[in-house]
Order: sequence, then structure tokens, then C-alpha cells
Amino acid sequence: MAPPDSNAPAEAIGIEARGEDLLAVVFTAMASPCELLLPGVDEPAAATLGALVAEEAWRVEKKFSRYRDDSVVAWIHRNRGIDIEVDPETASLLDFARQCHQMSDGLFDITSGVLRRAWKFDATSAIPAQDAIERLLPLIGFDKLVWQAPHLLLPLEMELDFGGIGKEYAVDRAYDLLNARFSAPFLINFGGDLRANRAPPRGAWQVGIERPGTLRDAAMILTLEHGALATSGDARRFLMHDGIRYGHVLDPHTGWPVAGAPRSVTVAASSCTEAGLLSTLALLQGADAAEFLEQQGVRHWIVD
Amino acid sequence: MQLKPRVRRRTGPDVRCRLIAASCALLGASAARSQAVASSGPAPNTWSIDTALAYYHEDGRIQAIEPVVNVLKDFGDGETVGLNLTFDALSGASPNGALPSRNVQTFASPSGKNLTTPAKDYTTSPGQLPVDSHYHDQRLAGALDWQLPLTRGTQATLGAKMSYEHDFFSVSGNASIAEDFNEKNTTLSLGVNDEYDTLRPIGGTPVAGSDYSLFDKTAGKTKNGAGVLLGVTQVMSRRWLSEFNLSADRFTGYLNDPYKIISIIDAAGNTTGYEYERRPDARTRKSAYLENRVGWDRASAGLSLRYMTDDWQIHSETAQLHVRWWIDSQDKYFEPSLRWYRQTAADFYTPWISAANQSSTGYASSDSRLGAFHALTFGLKYGEKLANQGNSAGGEFSARIEYYQQVTDGHFNAPGSLQGLDLVPGLKAILLQIGWRF
Repeated sequence: MAPPDSNAPAEAIGIEARGEDLLAVVFTAMASPCELLLPGVDEPAAATLGALVAEEAWRVEKKFSRYRDDSVVAWIHRNRGIDIEVDPETASLLDFARQCHQMSDGLFDITSGVLRRAWKFDATSAIPAQDAIERLLPLIGFDKLVWQAPHLLLPLEMELDFGGIGKEYAVDRAYDLLNARFSAPFLINFGGDLRANRAPPRGAWQVGIERPGTLRDAAMILTLEHGALATSGDARRFLMHDGIRYGHVLDPHTGWPVAGAPRSVTVAASSCTEAGLLSTLALLQGADAAEFLEQQGVRHWIVD
Repeated sequence: MQLKPRVRRRTGPDVRCRLIAASCALLGASAARSQAVASSGPAPNTWSIDTALAYYHEDGRIQAIEPVVNVLKDFGDGETVGLNLTFDALSGASPNGALPSRNVQTFASPSGKNLTTPAKDYTTSPGQLPVDSHYHDQRLAGALDWQLPLTRGTQATLGAKMSYEHDFFSVSGNASIAEDFNEKNTTLSLGVNDEYDTLRPIGGTPVAGSDYSLFDKTAGKTKNGAGVLLGVTQVMSRRWLSEFNLSADRFTGYLNDPYKIISIIDAAGNTTGYEYERRPDARTRKSAYLENRVGWDRASAGLSLRYMTDDWQIHSETAQLHVRWWIDSQDKYFEPSLRWYRQTAADFYTPWISAANQSSTGYASSDSRLGAFHALTFGLKYGEKLANQGNSAGGEFSARIEYYQQVTDGHFNAPGSLQGLDLVPGLKAILLQIGWRF
């Protein structure tokens, strides 16, 4: 998940009218602006439904954030080298991460966060020394975990980071909660990862996808009837060194940024988790991102 | 500094299938329920196709098989075009209107009056309700609807229907306009429709009230109808929708059923002859309809009440209740329903004409659909959403069973030998239907 805000996120929700007959429930979670769009719903109902979605976002954030001392991730980190028993939800996320690790030949790896000790995508624009990176590589690899649900043994010095799937997972969880109780159209958007159950009355959802770096930062407008959209790649997070642009997507095999990766990749899929994984894996393909997505047969939009 | 050269590890083309499976394990079935529909162009056109096959069986009488296809094209922005095609194949035995008798009765089937085919007479055993056992008919019906938004809050609908049988043809057109008020919580609608029917019974159209044995027939006949409907729909709360309609229609022309006859009975209970039925040549109906629908987290229910009255003195009441029960995280539902119906008889309804005042009869029909009766229908429907149907909003499979029981109201003092016979029997029917939407 994204780094903590300097101001701790206030657990408050607001309701905004977005044009005639559309209410947006807005709140902040996972350091991102989040919203629930509800056409044709009155304010008390929007508040009830919005609370349901926001509570779920905050719950997932609290549980899986690596920045919080009271999260499951922090607890796992405190118990490195010990065989611990994790709860079913954490277990299913670990299983999912293992499957993603396998199907991507190790490109997607929730243990690769240790590379952040070497790479700082901030204003200093410093490239780490090769030996600093090489010292970290032995700490990367999902297959080095001892994981047999529900038993986990995290080797000393290794790290887990659910940030690559947490936000999309939270969208899907909140979606399921709401969808089981509410059948009218809605759209859940957590910082650009979104999912809708059906088209709003008269038309489709209009979704603006940020395209920083393009001429006047023009947003791309997509229409979505139902399903999920996820965007990977933060076009604002890169560093320039000796005229070379280093994106923030790191290859866990080399410890270096993936060469030629697009600035951002947006993928449409049935769930946000699936869309998010496909867009992340596409970025990790570097210059072959478009080809990879064509092979998967999914609708996608790439900003180079 | 150069990027470190490395061996590229290509991720295979089957990632997506494995990912869908993994997402399902993580999120449950909802992850795979439907394909995303997204595009960077204007809202895409979508198609929805509904198909159903129904089987209807009346105890000892008619059975029907009815395939239905509904195609709806959504152009986005509230504009849709819908096409409905229905085919009916009916066969079996249809009551001809005559009374049971202690003697064998012989009738000529309508198809037997055709000069090119030999007469098909049919006989009815003593004590049995006379039915035309050669009855078979096929009907093809089509309807086209065009719904288009005029302004933000105004929606217009134009429609046309036609129905074809070998001896009957009907065309009708309708137009309606609906206006949203009160932040779309209230919708007022006004609709009109016009219908034109032609009847060409085989062997000619019987002259109303004429003697059955005289074959007094004329050419084809027509009837015309026009109707108007005024409705209001009100959103009472997020979980409660209420609808109220008032409607009126008037039909003029040849309103008889050309195949229905009436027995003429003497004081001893003997059948002395038959007459073709004779109905007024105009009928005006008015009805009021109230429906309330409520929804809960895992269930929804609808209660509707209808009152209808016409100038033939038929008054009817209908009450229908259905409850839809969602199970298994809203993918499957059961919907039991109960319908109660009661009507009074038309003022000219009579199961028979007594020979004594035969000459003085005005309008008369023994068609049991114009008599007094009440009926109960029990229904149960099961529906299941189908996963991942390509570019549409998700398919559905449904199966329905309905049991209908009609009970004749009123008591008829049958003369002489007819006493003890079930002169106006009720009706039991069963309906089975399966449907797919994709």
C-alpha cells in the first residue's frame, strides 16, 4: 500500500452531489481518494451504503498495511523465523500471491519490497550501487517462504508487501459486500481502481484515467458498463539519472527497473484483482507490455 | 550507468486463465460472474435475447406449446428497440358451448363446412360436455417496440403488434409518453392504443343468434378497439415502489366467438336444437390497477390488485402476490406466487336457452369465459444467473410451473333429465415454462 500520509487519514466520509441524480460518497483510504457513486439514491441511503464500503476499505488497509504496527503484516514481520498460523483471509491472499508468482515465473513477487531499501524514487535521483542491490536479491523470492496454509515461516530479513494487490482486493471485497445488499447501479473507485455492477440508468459510467506526462495531462475518458478497471504504473514516480528515465517498476530477478515499461497500463477485467494483476504483469513485461496484453485478450489502454 | 542486461523471462499467454482461477479462489464466484464491458468509444450497443418455451395443458381439453423469442437492442442513452415473436400450437378439445345431454349429440366441426374437405362430424357421449375434439390452431404473433428519450425526463414509446391465425388477423398500434417529476421519484404516463381485427371463420361467419342447423353464414367480420391508459409510478422509499393505473377501452363490431353455440332445452331436459351465440356489438371496459413492490436484502415481493368492470356487467377482481427469494449470494432465486381471480357473469350469460322462450331471446352466450367463476393459480419459479456470457449484462436461466384451478360459481336449476349432470364444469390446467436470457 502507498506510504502513509503526513496527516493520518481521518476516518470520515462525505457525500457530494455530482450533477443531477448522482451522489458520490467520498473518503480517504490507503492514501488514495476513494469514492462510491450511486445514481438515483437519496442521501440517507447513500450514507448507509457508503459507510459499508468505507469500513471495508479501512478494514483491509488496517489489516494489510505494512506501515501500521497493528497490522497482520507487522505481526508477521515481528515473528520472522517462527512458524506462525495466519487467519483464513491472510492465507487466501498468500495462496493467491503464490499462484501469481508461479504464473509470472517470479516476476510478481510480494517479497520484492526489500528493494525499496536500495531504490528511493524521490527527488534525490540517486542510482544505488550494484552491490547494494545484489545484497538484497537473496532476500527476494516467494519460494523462499515456508508456506503451507495456514502455517507461515518468514525467513529472517525478508519482507512481505501486499501493496501490489491490496487496493484492488479491497475494491472487490467492498463490491461483494455491497452487491449482496443492493441491486441498483453503483461504482466503487479506490484511487483509480474501480468496479461497477451495472450501467447507470441511461448510458454507461464515464471514467477519467489520468495520463500525466501527456500534452496538458489530458485525462483519457473510458466508458464502463460493468466490470472492473485497474491502472498500474505511476507516471509521476520515476527518477532521471544521466538522462535515463528509471520507472519505479522493479524486476525482482535483477533488482533493476524494468526497461522500456509504459508509464501506465489500464486493464478491464471482471474483477478488480484480476485487472490489477494483469496491468502489473504487463508493466513487468517492459516494452512487451502491449504484446502481453494482446495475448491475454483483454481490453487495455497503455500510456507510453 | 547501463541497465544490467538480463535474460528475459517471458510470461506465457495462458496467464489470464490461471489468474481468473486464482481470483475466484480469492474472491469467490463473483470474480468470474461477468466479463467487463468497457470501451473508450461511446456507450456500446448491447443486445439481450430472451427465449422461453412453455407447455400448457388443460385437464382433458386443450394443450399448447409456445416458443417465445424476445430481442432487445439497447442503443444507450435510454433508447431501445424490442422485438417479440411468439408461436402457439394449440390442439385438443375445445368446448363448443352446448350442454351435456342424456343422449348422444352430433355436431359438425367448423372445418367440415368447407366445401373442399369432407365434413368432420363429432359426437359426444351422454353426460359428457360437448367438445370439438378436432380443435387445432396455430398462432404467430409479433410485436415491435421503440423506446426513445425525448428530453432528460421524458420518454416516448411507440409500438406495433400483429397476430395471425388461419381464421383471425389482428393488428394494433400503441403510443405512450412518460414524464419524470420530483427528482425522478414520480413518473406519470399516458398511453393510447388502437386495434383492428378481422375474422374469417372456416365455412363463413355464423349470423349471430341463428339456428345451428340452418348454416346461416356471412362473409368475414371485423372488430375495432381503442384504449387509453393513465398511470403514475411513485418511489415511496429506496425499497418500495408503488404503481397505479387507470385504463379504459372500447371494442365495437363482431364480438361473438364464431364457434360457440348454445343448447335449446325443453322442459323435460331434452336438447331440441342449437343456436349460435349472440353478443352485443360493443363492449366498454374500465379497470384500475394498483401494484406495490418492496425489496429487502435477500428478498423482494410484489402485491398487485386489479378491478375491472364492463358494460356487459362483468366485474372482476384479481389479487396476485409473489415473493422472490435470493439464495447463494444473489445468484439463484425461488419465486412462489399466488393469484386469486373472481368474476361475475355477463348479463346475457346463460348455460342454455329454454325452448319455451326461444323466440324472445335477445343476447345470449354460454361461453364459460363470460360466466361467473373464481380461480386460483399457484406458481413456483426458479431462476439462476449464468456466468460470463460475453458482451451482455449476464444471462439467466429460469423454470416455472403454474397450476390453475377454475371453479364455476352460481347454481343452475336444470330441467328434467339434465338434473344431476355437471352442466358447467370447472377447469384445471398446468403450465410449464423454461427460459433463457443471454
